[in-house]
Amino acid sequence: MQNAKDSFYMALRTRLAVINPGRTILLRGAVRPGILVEEAEAPFSQLPNDVYVLRWLGLGVDVNLASTMSAEQCEIIYQTCGSQSYGGLDRGRALSEMDEELTAMLQPFYTPKLNYTTTTPAAMLTNVFWDEPGFGPVVIQRDRLTRSANVTIYSYQEQGE
Amino acid sequence: MSDTAPRNPVSAPQMLADALLRSVAGTTALLRVTGANSDTSQSEVGLLATNFAEVTISPVVMRKLRPNWQEGNESKWELLVSATGVQQQVDALSLQSAQSLFAMTLAVTVAGQDYLIESIGANEAFGQVYLYRLLMRESRL
Repeated sequence: MQNAKDSFYMALRTRLAVINPGRTILLRGAVRPGILVEEAEAPFSQLPNDVYVLRWLGLGVDVNLASTMSAEQCEIIYQTCGSQSYGGLDRGRALSEMDEELTAMLQPFYTPKLNYTTTTPAAMLTNVFWDEPGFGPVVIQRDRLTRSANVTIYSYQEQGE
Repeated sequence: MSDTAPRNPVSAPQMLADALLRSVAGTTALLRVTGANSDTSQSEVGLLATNFAEVTISPVVMRKLRPNWQEGNESKWELLVSATGVQQQVDALSLQSAQSLFAMTLAVTVAGQDYLIESIGANEAFGQVYLYRLLMRESRL
C-alpha cells in the first residue's frame, strides 16, 4: 500500500512540475514543486497557501480477488488568499486555477507502481490507478478560500509488499 | 509593531534583553534545522531521514502559558529568545533573516524536551528586534 501512496504522490509531483513550474514551495531548505504529503512533513500549525497537501484517510481491502486489491482515500487540500499585487481580489481566480491544475494533474488516471525504498526507484509489475476526483465546496475563512478533493487510489498487492 | 521613531539604532535594548534573560536563569535552546540539499524523492515521502543539524541559541527563557488545558492537547509554552543569539546563528549559517532560520526549524529542544513551533512574534525597539517570542507546544515524540 505504501508503494501505491508513494507512486501516486510522485506522479502528481512530476505532472505539476510540467503543468505549472512556477508553483513551488520552500520546505526544509529546498525549493520543490508545490505539493506535499502531510504525514511526511513536520506538523503544520497552518497549512501553506497555494500548494497541494495530500492527506491519506480511508482504506479498504478486497481479498476476494486473484490479487488483493487495496483502495485508499486521498484528500487533496489546497487553499489560497490570492496574490498580494491584486490585494487578494483574485483569490477566486487563483482557486479556479488550482482546480484546473489538479484536474490536469490527475490525468491520466494511472501511473506505474514504483518502489521508492531503493535509491533508484524500482518499477513494479502493476499500475496504480484512481477514479475521478470529487471536489468539495469552497470553505471561506475570511480572506482564505479552501477546497478539498477526494480521490480513491487503487492498487494490487504484489509479492513482497 | 515596528518602532519608526527617528532615532539612531543602538544595541542597548538588545543588551538589556540579554541581561534580563540571563538574570532570570536564561538557558540554551537547540533548534533542529534541516541540512542543505535535503530534497530527494525519498525524503519527500518520509523514507529517508533528512539531515538535521542542531543550532544552539542562548540565552532563552521558557515560560509556561496560562493553563487552558483540553483533553488530548499538549501544554503550550512561550520561549523568549535573545535576538542577538539568533542573529549570531543567522550570520553563521549565512541565512537572509531570522525568519529563514525559524522556517527551517523542525523542533526546538530545551532541557531534553522537544517542542514544536506554533507561531513567532518579535519585540522591537528603535527599529531593531531585541527579543523573539516563540509560541510552542510539547512534541509527542
